[in-house]
Amino acid sequence: MSEAALQIEGLSKSFDKRVVDNLDLRVAPGELYALLGPNGAGKTTTLRMAVGLTRPESGSVHVFGVDALAEPLAAKRLTAWLPDEPMLYDKLTPAEYLGFVAGLWRIPPAEAAPEAERLLKWLELWEQRDTPCEGFSRGMKQKVALAGALIHRPRLLILDEPLTGLDANMARAVKDALRAVADAGAGVIVTTHILEVAERLADRIGIIAHGRLLAEGTLAELRAQAGSDALTLEDAFIRPTRDPEAAAGA
Amino acid sequence: MTWLMHRLTPGGFLWLLINEVRLATRAARQRRGGNAIWALLILVYTLAGFWLASNLVGVPIAPTPIALNLVLAVCVLAASFMTTQAMLRSQDTLYLAGDLDLLLTAPLPPRRVLLAKLCGIATNIIFVFAAFTLPVALPVALLGHPGLFGVPLLLLALAMVSACLGLAITLAIVRVASPRTARTIAQIVGAILGASVFLASQFLSAGPGRESAGRALFGWLMRHNFGGEGIGALPGRAALGDFPAMVLVLGAAMLVFAGAGALLGRVFLVSYQNAPVRLTRNRGRAKGGIARHFRGGLFATMFAKEARLLRRDPQLAFTIVLRLIYLVPIALPAFTHGRGPPLLPALAFAGVLIAGQLAGSLAWLTVSGEDSPDLIAVAPVEKSAAERAKLAAALLIAAPFALVLPLAIALVSPRAAVIALTMTGACALAAGLVELKFQRPGPRKSFGNRRRGSFLVGLLTFLMTGLLGLGAGYLVWLIG
Repeated sequence: MSEAALQIEGLSKSFDKRVVDNLDLRVAPGELYALLGPNGAGKTTTLRMAVGLTRPESGSVHVFGVDALAEPLAAKRLTAWLPDEPMLYDKLTPAEYLGFVAGLWRIPPAEAAPEAERLLKWLELWEQRDTPCEGFSRGMKQKVALAGALIHRPRLLILDEPLTGLDANMARAVKDALRAVADAGAGVIVTTHILEVAERLADRIGIIAHGRLLAEGTLAELRAQAGSDALTLEDAFIRPTRDPEAAAGA
Repeated sequence: MTWLMHRLTPGGFLWLLINEVRLATRAARQRRGGNAIWALLILVYTLAGFWLASNLVGVPIAPTPIALNLVLAVCVLAASFMTTQAMLRSQDTLYLAGDLDLLLTAPLPPRRVLLAKLCGIATNIIFVFAAFTLPVALPVALLGHPGLFGVPLLLLALAMVSACLGLAITLAIVRVASPRTARTIAQIVGAILGASVFLASQFLSAGPGRESAGRALFGWLMRHNFGGEGIGALPGRAALGDFPAMVLVLGAAMLVFAGAGALLGRVFLVSYQNAPVRLTRNRGRAKGGIARHFRGGLFATMFAKEARLLRRDPQLAFTIVLRLIYLVPIALPAFTHGRGPPLLPALAFAGVLIAGQLAGSLAWLTVSGEDSPDLIAVAPVEKSAAERAKLAAALLIAAPFALVLPLAIALVSPRAAVIALTMTGACALAAGLVELKFQRPGPRKSFGNRRRGSFLVGLLTFLMTGLLGLGAGYLVWLIG
C-alpha cells in the first residue's frame, strides 16, 4: 500500500462530551475525499486535530508518513488548512496576503511571486490584487484564502465546508480548483454536511456521526452498502444518526 | 432591560430605544472591564460624595455668578468631549454596527430607527460623565440640596445635543468627502480634539502664572459674565434646580434631538446606503510588480505585515498616539524652566516611559492582536519563533519614535544620550516581553480594551516603565 496523504488512527477527543471517538481515516495521494456528516458530527474537530490546531486525547496522525504529533512543523510544511471562515487580514490586499503566507512557509520569493500571479489569475483575482480584502464578498475572500492555501503547493489540502456561501459559479470554480489539486497528486479532504456536494465532488466519501466513521467508500460502494431500498445515501446513513431509535429499529 | 422590552410594542420607538440602551449598557460593561474594580471605585467615589454632602449640609449653594459661570465652563468642556465621542460612535453606527441592515430592512420608518440610534449614541456617551458627576452630585442633592437633581437632567440634555452635533459633523464630512475619508477624518479629529483640550490644559497649567484651560475659560466667562445672565445662565440655573430653566434646557435639547432626527434622517439613510459601495472601491493599481510583496525570512515577512496593518488603521495609530500624549503631563516638568526638575534627567525619564508604553502597545498588537491566529498556528513555524519575529517587528516600528528624545539629549550631552538610549531600549524590550509573557489574544479592534481582565499586567507595565524611566533620569542626573 502506498504512503497515505493522511492517515488517522484511533483518534479521540472530548470537550463536554465525546466529539471524536476512536476514528480511523485514510486518504490517498491524488484522492479527493469528502467527510460527510450532520452538524456536530465531529468533522471539524477531526480536521483541526489533523492540522495541529487541536490536541487529540489519543490516536495518531500521519501526513505522508510524518508523525504530525511528534514532528508538527514537518507535517505542517506539507499541509494547507482552509477553514469555513477564511483566515484573512482585512487590511491586506490579496497580493500582500499571499506574500505573507509564502513568508510563513518560507517559500523563496523567486518561486512564490510567479506562483502567486498564476493563482490570482486562475482564481480571477488578478484585477483585485491591490485592493484590501475588507470589501470583498464572502466568495472572493474564500478564493483569496484558497490562493493562500495553494501558494506553498501543499501535498495535503484540508478544507472545512469550502462551498458554504458561494454562488454557483464560484462553487464551480472552487470544485475545479480542488479537482486540479488532487489530479496533481495532492490529497484533498473536504468536509460538508450537504450530501449532493460530497456526491459530485469526491472520489471517496466518509460518513461521520457522533465522532465515528459509519461508512466509507466510493459513491457506488456506499450505494451498494445502503442496499436497493434506500433512495439516497442520506436515507441510508444520515437519517438514522439523527434518530437513534429509528436506527435501532431499522 | 429585556423584561421591559417584552412589555412594549415591538418595533415601536420605545422598544427600539430600550434595545439601544441595552446594547449601550452592555457595550459599556464590556469596555470598562474589571467590573469588580470599577464597582469598587464607584463605591469609594460615592462614599466620598456622601462625605462631601455631609459637610455641605446647611451650606447654601446659590446661583451666584461664580456658580453659574462655573457650570457653563464645565458644560462647554464636557460638550466638546461628548461631541468627539459622538462623532466616533456615529462612525461605529454607520460602518461597524451590524444591526443597521436588519433595522433598515425591517418594516419600520427609517426616521424612527435613526432616533433610536441617536438615543443609543447619547446613552453611550453619557456613561463616563455620569460616572464622574453623579456619585458626587446625587448625595449632595439628597442631603439638603434637592436643586442639584438638575445635574443629571443637564447631563442628559448635553448628551442629546452632543449626539446630534456629532452625527451632523460626521454626515457633513461624508457628504464632502467619502465615507472612508470621513471615518479617517473623524478618528483624527477625535484624537486631536481630545488631545488638544488635554494638552492645552496641561501646558497652560504648567508655566508660572499660567492657568488650566478650564480655569482660563472660566475666567473669560466671568469677565464677560456670559454664564451669569440670559441664555448662558440657563445651564447653571438648570443644574441648581431652577424649574423653568430645567424645562427650557431639556425641552430645547429634545427639540434639537427631534429636529436632528427629522433633518438628518434622509442624509443618514443616503450615506448608509452609499457606504458599502464606496467603501469597497478599488484603490487603483499599486506601482511595482507582484514580486515586491514577497520577502525571504520570517522577520521580514512579519514586519511587512505588521507595518501595513498599522499604517492602514488610522484609528489604531491615533489611539496609540493619544495614549502617548496623555503621558505628556508626566514629562512636562522638563519644560518648566526653573520650577521643575532639570531638563536632561526629565527628558530621559520621559523618553524611557514613552518608549516603554509605545513598545508595549505595539507588542500587544503584534502578539496578542493577531486576527488570524490559526494561520500562524498551522504554518510550519515554531510558536516562539513567530512571537520573537512579531516582538522584533513591534520594536522596530517603535524605534524611530523612541529615538527622538535620546537624540534630543545627545545635542546637549552625548554621555547622557547613551544612558537614555540604553535605558530606552531596555524598557522597550522589557515592556514587549511582558506582553509576550502575559499575552491575552484578542482582535486588533479591541486594542482600546486590551487591559480588560488584565489590570495587573497594565499596572506592572506602567510601574516597570516608570521605574526604568526614573532610573534613567537618576543616572543622567548623576553624570551631571
